[in-house]
Amino acid sequence: MADAIRIQDLRKNFRLGFIPKTREILKGITFAVREGEIFGYLGPNGAGKTTTIKCLLGLIRPDAGTIEILGRSHLSPRSREPLGFLPENPYFYDYLTAREFLAFTADLFGLGRREKEDRIRRLLALVGLERAADLPLRKYSRGMLQRAGLAQALINDPKLVILDEPLGGMDPIGRKEIRDIIVRFKDEGKTVFFTSHILQDIEMICDRVAIIVGGRIVKEGALRDLVSERVLFTEATVAGLPPAAFAGLGESVSAQGDRVLLRIFDESKVDKVLDLVRGQKGRLLSLSPRTETLEDIFVETVTRT
Amino acid sequence: MAMAKTSFANRRRGTLLLIGLLVASAAGFSALKAATDRIARKKIPGSSIIYIPSGKFLKHATFGYRALAADAIYLWAIQYYSTPAIDDRFDHLDHIFAIINELDLRFQDPYEIGAMIAVQGALELRAERPEQAAKAMRDAFTILDRGAANNPDQWVYPFNAGHIALINLRDYALAEKYFEQCMKIPGAPEFVERLRANAIFKKGDLQTSWETWLDIYNRAPDERTKKIASNHLYRVKATIDRGALEKALAEYRQRSGRLPSDLAALVRTGLLREVPKDLDGKDYVYDPATGSVKTGISPWRR
Amino acid sequence: MKIRAIAGITFKEAKRDRVLYLLFFFAALGIVASRVLALLTVGDRIKIIKDVGLASISLFGVLMAILIGTGLVYKEIDKKTIFTLLAKPLHRAEFILGKFLGLVMTLFVMTLTMSIIFLAIVFAHTLRIEGALLVAVAYIFLELVLITAVAILFSSFSTPILSSLFALGFYLIGHLSWGLELILKKMAPGAGRTFVRALYTVLPDLENFNFKTEVVHGLAIPPAIYLSSFVYGLCYTVFILALAILIFRRRDFI
Repeated sequence: MADAIRIQDLRKNFRLGFIPKTREILKGITFAVREGEIFGYLGPNGAGKTTTIKCLLGLIRPDAGTIEILGRSHLSPRSREPLGFLPENPYFYDYLTAREFLAFTADLFGLGRREKEDRIRRLLALVGLERAADLPLRKYSRGMLQRAGLAQALINDPKLVILDEPLGGMDPIGRKEIRDIIVRFKDEGKTVFFTSHILQDIEMICDRVAIIVGGRIVKEGALRDLVSERVLFTEATVAGLPPAAFAGLGESVSAQGDRVLLRIFDESKVDKVLDLVRGQKGRLLSLSPRTETLEDIFVETVTRT
Repeated sequence: MAMAKTSFANRRRGTLLLIGLLVASAAGFSALKAATDRIARKKIPGSSIIYIPSGKFLKHATFGYRALAADAIYLWAIQYYSTPAIDDRFDHLDHIFAIINELDLRFQDPYEIGAMIAVQGALELRAERPEQAAKAMRDAFTILDRGAANNPDQWVYPFNAGHIALINLRDYALAEKYFEQCMKIPGAPEFVERLRANAIFKKGDLQTSWETWLDIYNRAPDERTKKIASNHLYRVKATIDRGALEKALAEYRQRSGRLPSDLAALVRTGLLREVPKDLDGKDYVYDPATGSVKTGISPWRR
Repeated sequence: MKIRAIAGITFKEAKRDRVLYLLFFFAALGIVASRVLALLTVGDRIKIIKDVGLASISLFGVLMAILIGTGLVYKEIDKKTIFTLLAKPLHRAEFILGKFLGLVMTLFVMTLTMSIIFLAIVFAHTLRIEGALLVAVAYIFLELVLITAVAILFSSFSTPILSSLFALGFYLIGHLSWGLELILKKMAPGAGRTFVRALYTVLPDLENFNFKTEVVHGLAIPPAIYLSSFVYGLCYTVFILALAILIFRRRDFI
């Protein structure tokens, strides 16, 4: 399986301010994205996620390091031919309609006329903008713009799709839609590289992730490998028994009315709690083991760095 | 990694190509600038530059719109000089029209109109402010001289100047000079040489006047011109003759204390060799009572 | 072609700019007002009409080129539409050239329209279509093309206000080339003079495109200067665009 993206020792400094002070943003980034996988790129704000993407896309010239996109050096504009990109807050020419904008984008890829019309029609249907297709973009809501952005990212049927915070600011239904679309990309054989803050979503769909903190990759690998199946604690919601009854068995997190939310850290104590509840004629409302999540890894990694 | 290297090379090549283009185009336009400079445009000759706020400076401060600036100032000037309420409007007449002329050396109207306004001003001011009137008159000539200098192919300017000298100033020597200047310009009307001849006559140089008119008579291309020249010759001779006669009469009177009864008396007393006859061979009319000598017929009715 | 696509949307965008129509309105007003102004003159009326007409087309054309051109690239960067655009397989040169051609097309349409109004007014006065006037307008247009390139050059790295000032400065310097020529004539040969001579050669001479005076007075224009001025304009425009592309290529879009 070839690499869709290969980044080696990427470095970038910015000189900012009137009296130029050099700030190191990327301090030697190295990672790879394999073809056909969904790759999540995470990190706290200011870590360098967007800068990495901009280097990939040729918007920023790196000071050192190499980037290869589907085997081509990122320096050549041709490397962007199989690419589709959706930026974080899409800004498009607000005097164009969605249809005109897609036509313009198609022209930039040199698509033929028949193919162009065909794809525009299909994409507008895909993202659900058929009815608004001839309205100028400045009349679009944020969600509609996001969808238009997605359509323009797909106009060239890209092999590699790059999304910068695609799930930000969307409601749960919107997020589900986007997640489904990303998974569908994978089914079609596309590679997806995206950044996100919403770790639950990453956990749900990514194959591999990389965590960037302070301009360095601090963790990289398959999600399966990073997140162990270790149980951190078991949460139980019990009714009918006072919190004091559970002393020594677990930590009572909260008590409302006659309900107690209990956190049991010792696995061996779980059965004892169940016996207690049955013995005292209480009611067990829920019982769920909590495994290590990506969020836990993330927080731990960031605080450690 | 080899891919990366070739792409780097591509980018390098791109930069070199652009720099090459930069240098080539710079060389191109530099060379063309020199070539274009050498092409003599019918750009107005004699534009010396002195950095004083005059029309010369203004010409270059208008960034290529100097003709328009000339128009604007000229339009304003016309309105300005049509306003009689402004008493001292003739004070800076020449300065204003100098600016207009400098801005557009070949804009013909302002020269003529400027001179016309100046003469008008001179007439207006003559009664109350004779000094200003004199200056205004001088301005008229300054403007017309400038017009002639900047447009040596235009006969109108010396013509107008001669006309003003003749009619308004009665400076016949000056009129003669201008008419002579006018004559030399190709395209000048044929009557200008006659105006000159007449000016010489009015100046009082009868001998030259005679010779000039004779020349005109001899060269006359048609009957009409011949007649006119002939009439003038008649008048010149009449004036010469009259002068001689009146001089002789005065002498006679001095000697004998009275006027002679006829002109033959002057010959008898030896004051004249002979009694002159007019150009047609006719006698002059002498009135012994007053001592006046007149032509028998008006020169223009021959 | 990609340049054509970018030129197309640039033309669409420029067409919507209200400044364009405001300036066009004033230019048309100026041309029509020339008829009224002509009534005030004593003497040759048609000269005033021609002068005001050509001056209107020239002046407002330059303002259009500067005011719209200096915002073209800056707006893309400011509104971040440039991110999606440059993420496409596009050379940065193609972007600059596309913007340039789009604005040139816009100015061409504007100049053509103004010329038609102008010729109509002249025709109403003289009952003749004067081809010589079109020559003057054609070279005014060439000057506009060069100014457009300059506006885009500055727009690629500076804010609209500064860019406008620089572009205006370029225009003024271009019409003051005579000043350097004078200084040259009065300088003694030496290092200083060589420097001034170099400056004189490199700085633009926009008077090369100024045929207004000759055309209005009906003076003969030596034919060599048509070609010479045209190629000069071409070379200088290529120079400016090459510079713009070089600078734009090196830019990081943070």
